[in-house]
Amino acid sequence: MDITPWLKALEDSGVATTIRNSSYLFPSLEAVHVMALGLMLGTITVVDLRLLGLASRARSAERVSDEVLKWTWAAFALVALTGFTMFTTNARVYAHNTAFLIKLALLAAAGVNMLTFHLTAARSMHHWDRKAAPPIGKAAAALSLVLWVGVVFAGRVVGFTTTGQQAKEQAPPPTTIDYDDFLTGGASSGPPAAPAPPPAK
Amino acid sequence: MHSFATWLYASAPSVLIRNQEVWIIPTIQSIHILGIATAVGSAFMIAMRVAGWMGADQTLLQTQRRYGPWLAGALWLLLATGLLLVLAEPPRELDAVSFWMKMALVALMAVVASTFQRSVRRHDERWETTLLRRPAVRWAALSTFVVWAAIIFLGRFIAYDQIWNRLFPGIKG
Repeated sequence: MDITPWLKALEDSGVATTIRNSSYLFPSLEAVHVMALGLMLGTITVVDLRLLGLASRARSAERVSDEVLKWTWAAFALVALTGFTMFTTNARVYAHNTAFLIKLALLAAAGVNMLTFHLTAARSMHHWDRKAAPPIGKAAAALSLVLWVGVVFAGRVVGFTTTGQQAKEQAPPPTTIDYDDFLTGGASSGPPAAPAPPPAK
Repeated sequence: MHSFATWLYASAPSVLIRNQEVWIIPTIQSIHILGIATAVGSAFMIAMRVAGWMGADQTLLQTQRRYGPWLAGALWLLLATGLLLVLAEPPRELDAVSFWMKMALVALMAVVASTFQRSVRRHDERWETTLLRRPAVRWAALSTFVVWAAIIFLGRFIAYDQIWNRLFPGIKG
């Protein structure tokens, strides 16, 4: 299935166009994205270190995760929202960017890892509430830290490899043959290129 | 400052970093972001404890002992990676209005955090019995989020510093 028309529709949406035409909206989205990801990753680390038994060992594992994870989810919602909004401004370029695809794959892996943890070690949490998690829980916590570090690196590379790039516009097939245009070399055919997103690194 | 930035740009260490593989600057920036996450996470846990929204099973001193060293360590990591980024691209940072506003707020927060840490270590009884009950103290804790947010915002805007000239023509000389 070719999703290019969907991506193009996202780029042509009012929100995406407004952001592209503004000099401060895109950087503001990036800033909120970094703030929220800081809170998300910081709180994930608190829980992962508790599971590994490396920090907060004296505290109930259940209490630490209950207290912290609701903020993790709130922050994740903000990260996802700002991330998706930035994606719409140049969707076809991001969708073909290797670093972006690696980032999505790592995110998916982090999701599967979290789900596995909840279906296994988390079920017996009351047994190890005052100790480190059992091996499978520790493995999930360590993997979680590794995957999120990977997400951050891939995310930063996305900025370096997509900035200022534009998707190649495909000229629509001519409905009628315009001989005048043909004689001038077809210089007037094809839609105008979309304005580039604000340059930055 | 501009002539200093130009001189630093041409200096041997700066050239050395820039002439590395292309991934060196994104890598330093990524480590800088991981430092931000650690600093934001620990500052959040301490501030939420002071505000009374989290960690009531721990005393403030216990909370401080758990997260204070991580906050301090993260700030040192941010300083180290930040210095490398300045060294790699001096005009990008040193000629940026956002950079200097950010540094002013970072200096403020470094003083606030270290004063707070020392005070909790020395007067933990007083914090526990009276200070934590004061609404003003709780509000002060929550207001630190605004300053951390402003620091992150200004940090990202170093790359887009020309917008300050649109808001305040002539500010960038």
